[in-house]
Formats: sequence, C-alpha cells, structure tokens
Amino acid sequence: MRIVVLLKAVPIVGTERLLDAFRVDRGSGLEANGNDEYVLEAALQLTEQHGGEVTLLTMGPAGALEALRKGLAMGAARAVHVQDDAVAGSDARGTVRVLAAALGRLEYDLVFAGADSSDGLGGVVPAWLAARLGLPYLSYAARIEPGPGGATVRVHRISPTGFDLLEAPMPALVMGTQLLGEPRYPSLRGIMQARTKEIATWSLADCGLQPSEVGPAAASSEIVGATPPPPRGGATIVRDQPDAAVAQIVDFLASRRLV
Amino acid sequence: MGSAIWAVAELADGAPTRLSLELATLARTLAEAMGAEATTVLVAPGAAAAAPALAQHGPGVLVVDTAASEELASAAVVSARVATLAAERGPAWILCGASPDGKDVAGQLAALLDWPVLVNGAAVRWQDGAPLVEMSIFGGRLVTESRPTASPAVIVVRPGAIAAEEAPAPGAVEAVEVVPGRELPAVRIVERVAEAAAAASIEEARIIVAGGRGVGGPEGFAVIEDLADALGGAVGATRAVVDAGWISYSQQIGQTGKIVKPALYVACGISGAIQHKVGMQTSGTIVAINRDPDAPIVEFADLVVIGDLFEIAPRLAAAVRARKA
Amino acid sequence: MTVRLSEEQLALRDAVRELADAKIAPRAAAIDESGEFPWDVVELLASHDVLALPFPAAHGGLGADLLTVCLAIEAVSRVCATSGLIVAIQELGGLPLLLAGSPEQHARWIPDLAAGRILPAFALTEAEAGSDAASLRTRAVRDGDGWRIDGSKRFITEGNVAAIVNVFALTDDSAEARRAHRHLSCFIVERGMAGFSAPKVEHKMGIRGSPTAELVFEGVRVPDANRVGEVGEGWSIALRTLERSRPGIAAQAVGIAQGALEVAARYAAERRQFGRRIGEHQMIGALLADMATRTEAARQLLYTACQEIEAGTPLAGRWAAMCKLFAGDTAMAVTTDAVQVLGGYGYVSEYPVERMMRDAKITQLYEGTQQIQRLVVARDVMARGS
Repeated sequence: MRIVVLLKAVPIVGTERLLDAFRVDRGSGLEANGNDEYVLEAALQLTEQHGGEVTLLTMGPAGALEALRKGLAMGAARAVHVQDDAVAGSDARGTVRVLAAALGRLEYDLVFAGADSSDGLGGVVPAWLAARLGLPYLSYAARIEPGPGGATVRVHRISPTGFDLLEAPMPALVMGTQLLGEPRYPSLRGIMQARTKEIATWSLADCGLQPSEVGPAAASSEIVGATPPPPRGGATIVRDQPDAAVAQIVDFLASRRLV
Repeated sequence: MGSAIWAVAELADGAPTRLSLELATLARTLAEAMGAEATTVLVAPGAAAAAPALAQHGPGVLVVDTAASEELASAAVVSARVATLAAERGPAWILCGASPDGKDVAGQLAALLDWPVLVNGAAVRWQDGAPLVEMSIFGGRLVTESRPTASPAVIVVRPGAIAAEEAPAPGAVEAVEVVPGRELPAVRIVERVAEAAAAASIEEARIIVAGGRGVGGPEGFAVIEDLADALGGAVGATRAVVDAGWISYSQQIGQTGKIVKPALYVACGISGAIQHKVGMQTSGTIVAINRDPDAPIVEFADLVVIGDLFEIAPRLAAAVRARKA
Repeated sequence: MTVRLSEEQLALRDAVRELADAKIAPRAAAIDESGEFPWDVVELLASHDVLALPFPAAHGGLGADLLTVCLAIEAVSRVCATSGLIVAIQELGGLPLLLAGSPEQHARWIPDLAAGRILPAFALTEAEAGSDAASLRTRAVRDGDGWRIDGSKRFITEGNVAAIVNVFALTDDSAEARRAHRHLSCFIVERGMAGFSAPKVEHKMGIRGSPTAELVFEGVRVPDANRVGEVGEGWSIALRTLERSRPGIAAQAVGIAQGALEVAARYAAERRQFGRRIGEHQMIGALLADMATRTEAARQLLYTACQEIEAGTPLAGRWAAMCKLFAGDTAMAVTTDAVQVLGGYGYVSEYPVERMMRDAKITQLYEGTQQIQRLVVARDVMARGS
C-alpha cells in the first residue's frame, strides 16, 4: 500500500498569533497538527501489516521541517515539502490547489488527512481535495483497513449512533480522527535513521502553479477586523463547606438565568 | 448572478437537526437584510416528511428525496445535487452547518462549483452588501471578522450562531428531481452499527457538565451525568478521560475533540490545560469545581468552587432539582 | 571552545524529554513512595532505544557519543532521578566490557544490554573499601580452568536485579602488584551462579526506586571466559570506566537540578504573598537567579567534559571529576533552595522538591565522593601547575 499522509505544521497549540497582515504567524514554533499524527500512525500500522510505504506531504515554511523529521523518525519512508514564499497566507482554496498539484506528481493507493487543523482551516480541505482529484472520500475515520479483496479500503466512520462501515475502491482519500489510536513516539533509532531519509523540496513552479493562484492575493476572504474576545477571569472563588458552597452556586447560576 | 441565500439542511432520525433550523433562521435573517430570497435545501432519504419543520423557519424549502441512494455515504450524494441545483438557480451564498456532514458538503461544493469557502463562522451578519463572518479562531483566543472577496461563496456556520426561530409564516415546499451534472465517486455504506455508548451531539447543548481526571474512573461519571441531567445538559469530558476509556470520544472537548460554546460549562475535576481550554473557553459562563486552587482553569472561569466534586456535584444536582420543583 | 549540540543530538534529547514528561514523570512520586524498582520504566526505556545509546551499532546499539548519552540521562533525571539512574547504570555496567572485553564477550552480552533485555551492575565498593576502593578484599583465585570468587560487595546499584555483575576482585596480593596497581581483575558474575546472592537491599534517603544491594560471593566459580581484560588490569578498567561514567552521574545531577528549578520557578510565578508573586520579591528572585546560573554552569561544564573525554583528552580523569564534583554540589544546592522557595509546601510530599532534594544527595556520594573528586583534581593541579 502506498500511502501519502498530508501533514500540516501548525503553531504550537496556545501560541498561535496573527501577523500584521492578519495572516497566521507560522514563523516559529510549529508542530504537526494533532490529528495528522493519528492518521500517520494509522498509515504506518497499515504498511507494517500489509506492506508498502508512507510518504509525507506538507505545504509550509521552513519551520515545517521539524514536523516532517518527526514523521520520518516515526517510520515514514520519505517526505515532500512544498515550500515557496508565495504560498504563505493561502486560504483553503489555495491550499487545495497546491496539495492537488503536488499529489498529481505522486503515486498512491491512499491519501490520509487529519480532521480539522488546530489553526483553523475549518475541516473542509480533505473533502475539497478528494472531490477535486476525483477520489472517493471517506471521512471521520475511527478505523481504517483494507477491504476483503485488497482493492478497496474500509473505514469505520463515526456517526451519532455509533459508526458506519464504509467501503470504496482505491485510490481513495481518507480523513481520520483521534480514535485511530495514539501515535507512537519516534524511537531513538528512528530519529537516527530519519537523517538518511529523503525530504524533497518542491517550489510552486515544480507543482506547475503560478503565484497568482495561491497566497493572500488569491484569498477568497479578507480579514477586516480582529479583536481579542472579552477577557475572562477574575472569578469569584467559593471555598465554603459543600452545602454553603452549593447555595452560592445556585444563586450565581440563577443570577445568570441558567437555572 | 442571483442574490439568493441558501441553507443546506440535514436530518437526524428523520427530523432536521437543530443546527439546520439555526441555518434556516440565519438564511432568512440575512435574506431580509439583503432584500433577497432565502431557500433551505434538503437532500436526504425521506426528505419530504421533514420539510414542513424546516418550512416553519421561514425560507422556502427545496426538497430532493434520495431514498434510492440510501446505501451511499450521504455527503457526496448531497453535494452533487446541491451543486447541480445551484448551477441552475444561481444563489450567491450557500450556508453549510459545521457538522461532520456539513463540512464534507462544504468542501465538495467548493470543488464542484469552484467556489471559495469561508469557514468557522461563529456569527454572520449582512454589512455593506456582503456577509460579514465572525470567526473565533485559535480556540477562541481571537475573534476575526472576514468578508468574502467575491461572490458566490460557501459559508460554514458553527452551532449557536443564531437561535432557531420560527417565521411568522411558513415558507413553501418545492419537491424536485435532480439529475446531477457531475457525481462524486460513490462510497458504499456496508453496515450501520449502533453502539450503546454513543450520546447526543454535545456541540448543540446549551449546558454541558464535563468531567476530567479528578472524576477518578467510569463510576465517578455517574455523578457528572446526574448533575447534567438535573441541569438539563449534556455530558462532556477531557481527553485524558477518553483515553482512559471512561467515556466515549464523541463527548471529548478540546483540541482534537469538539469545540463547544454552551451557555453554561461546568468543569468538574478539570485542570484547564490548553488542549482542553481551546475547546470550551468561549462558553457563556464557566463554573469550575476543583480541589486545586492553582489549577489553570481558575484563571479563566467565572465561578470557582474549591472542593471535592463528589461532595459538591450531588448536592448541586439536588438543589437544582428542588428549585425546579 | 564552545559546545553546540548537533541537530541530531537536539532531536534525540527532545525525544527523550518528551517520553520522560509523558510516561515517566507521572510515575516518579509513586516510585519514590513505594521504593519498588520500576520494571515498567526499564521496558519503556528499552523499547524506545534509550538503553541502546551507549552501545555500538554492530551489536544493536545506537553508537551514541558520551554527550548524547548524558543528554538522555539528564532528560530523564529531570523528572525522575531513579529512572535517570537506570540509563546511567546501563552505561556504567557495560563500560568494562566495552573498554576491555573480548569480541566473544561483546557478542555474548552487548546485544542484550543494548536491547535492555538484561541489566548490568558494577561491583567495586565493599563495606570496608569505599573511597579506598583499591584496598578491596574480595578475592578471585584460580580454580582449574576458571576462578573462584569469595567476598562481598556493598552499595551496588541494581546488584540484585542485574543479569551480569562486573566484579572487581583481588588476584594478586603482593606488595609489588599493589604498588603497580596490578592487584585487581574484573570478572562477570552472572545471576544464578552457585554461591552468588544478594541477601539485602538498603533502605535509603533518596533514589528509593533504585535497589542498592549487598552482594555475597561464596565460592562462586566463574569460567576464565568471564574474565574481562587481562589479569591485573582491573584497577585500570575501573578508572577508565569512571572517566566515562562520572559524567553520567553529573548528567543525573544536572537533570535533578533542572527539574527542581522548574518547579520552584513555576511556584514563584504563581504564589502570591504581600500582594505580589513571590518571585518578584528580591530574596526569592536571588535564589532563583543563583539556581538558574549554577544549573547552567554545571550543564556547560558537563557538556564540555563530555566532548573532551570523547575526543580522547589525556585529562579525561580530571574532566570527569570536575564535572561530577560541580554538578553534584549544584544539585544539592539547587534542590535545597527549591525547597526553600516553596516554603512549607516544599517540605511536604505534595510537591516533588523534597524528593528531589533527597535524590540529589547521592550525587555527592557515589561514583566517588566529592572529596575523592577533589583529590583527583588537586593531584592533577599539582602535577600540571594549574
């Protein structure tokens, strides 16, 4: 199974900032998007059980390298890094254009993506990408396995009542969730081996795209204002005995019409 | 180019989801401000039966019954038909809900129609001839206002952006047959499996009572559930608790779980680490019950009760029930 | 000269740190309280190749340099000194083999050590021979093709759980041998050998999860194939081992200091008295500043010592002694100050600093007391003039 895993390097959770131009600051302190590591783990387990290799694909600045190295240390065979100043500040559409172009240059049976990135592209990129590439799209996976004949992929898709067992022919694009299972820590051996693995760097031109198709110029929305939300804190602290404490809680909730 | 605004609805157990009713209301409200038409589009098996409930919320309803495609994953079926209708009828804006299916549909519509998508809409209003989308980003640490640079576009709207409200007069229901101009690759549903542990979606809950490591174990959650029941709310949890297997992932709140914005969030035995905080910090009111006065959650809660949750929660549940009686 | 960690060293250090924070830190208090040897941590370290670091790649190790091994020890010790010691002892117990063992011995034991399948121990110290280690009395006499070992050892880390113990025994009691430091030899005694027992484990102030054992050898017969190095090479092996293992203890000490500094800093940033965060009061601020400065100084000295020793400096003994001396005293001072910063809370087990202070003390005692380290440095100062 040849699996391409889409890895997004996002600001470390809690440290996200906007730049002056109201773009997300990806200058420093990036880590792999949480959900992307789950799908990477699933991909590694599948190739370990059924043969094949995992390729990482990311679009991002130089700081994305660390997330890629970690993925290689976990066991991915190689990585492709689309790095070009022009792509900074791309919205979902620009991102899809680049990823679709990059995937057009790779061979695969499956493409894996994580659900929602923590820095907010809103969870629409995987569906968009699959539709653009004409791939069957299986989302919100809690489990991924090859279908009985070996030519299809089966996914347990989380549903409100449990899960739906989906099946589609490969090649296909699967979007996965945390339920796929805890990602492994890179072993130290993996870290040392990662040094010898290939990270190919592609520019926008290598992907056959023009700068006008990506980046802020091609963005479909503009930020006209940004405000921090009203500050929180200054809590009332209750330390009384349970009965007295509960009376205060009820009064507090009542004053806000919550009971 | 038309100026109409559409809302894509979805069903759960044969009835429109609350998010769908909110979207319908939002479409109607924006249409009034725009001086344009609003339409709710429902593509689902047995859509006709659910249409009247949607029509109560104002916009006219376009209904496409897809009983024939029941064994296919729904998003691709919905998107192909909505895209075909949109190509014919030319709305300027399509609202999708930020549910799993809604987000899938939004992405697929974007590809089929080659439209841009504005995401994470916490609120939408009409201003200066375009929708102004308020987005809460970085787990609520920043709120931005964004305008699309051109129309038409898809806008993804989160639960709670507006209260669902019935219209003075219901809209008209129009059933249509659609032959999609382009189908997306089909994904077959081999089996639907129901699991006992699955709970109602907590993203739509007005009140959430959540438990963290301090709950101690699955039995401890009985106390949380009872308090949620007394308050009329849903049960949430931190990731540590889900990883420990005490509760299902569908109730996990935080960075890799759900982002929620209830009117009331009661955090029991939750320290308030950043990965959890980003999932709930925009809640209307946050009450924290914790033994540790130095827990991070103290910094951003509205009311902090230092004490043993097993002493406080049951008494609180009893007091709330007594009050309601 | 400056120390710059390579990208790979940084990646390895960060990986161990992440593992330690996530999987070992939550265990530290329980390990201390129960005093039980944490086999789960051994398994964790083994499965993540941490124990493979000091061993050559040819035998399944990672062939890491001394600095990298110390980075790992430091990262683990920062959250749990007992666990950090497991890594240090894996290196210590493997060093005699690495320095003086035969290819057959390497093939026989190194793969298991690298994989963490077996634990080693280093048995030099005796009840009556601590600092004066050269005067040890455990004997090995020729017995047919092999040797017979009689005697006892005291304060041997992991001596009761090790599969192989490096035992230093007297093989030539003559005055000339002693004068020439050729009176000792090193033997591998294996668990289960008849006459070898570990009757007692100490109850200690700190590193309570690490078993410190008394070992007894009553007519233990070992084949000559278990002799490490030449007859009479024992003392030399011991000294060369300590040149590389003392930095490991320095790393443990730096880690302990760092962990304590972080707890104290966090506390000082949150605790408010007299209307301000206590870290903003000058006396506390001064404590924190000294703690931070000394920890960094100890770290830099350790890293430089590692690079010097790895590069083959003839001054290896001095570097090893200096870094261990400074780091041990730093750990004791910093942990003591950490308790002070936390005040009453520092004294109770709800906060980890009292454990860190108890753990720190051993770094001034084992692998050569601070007094021995000073002797080593002083002799070298006298010999070289500075």
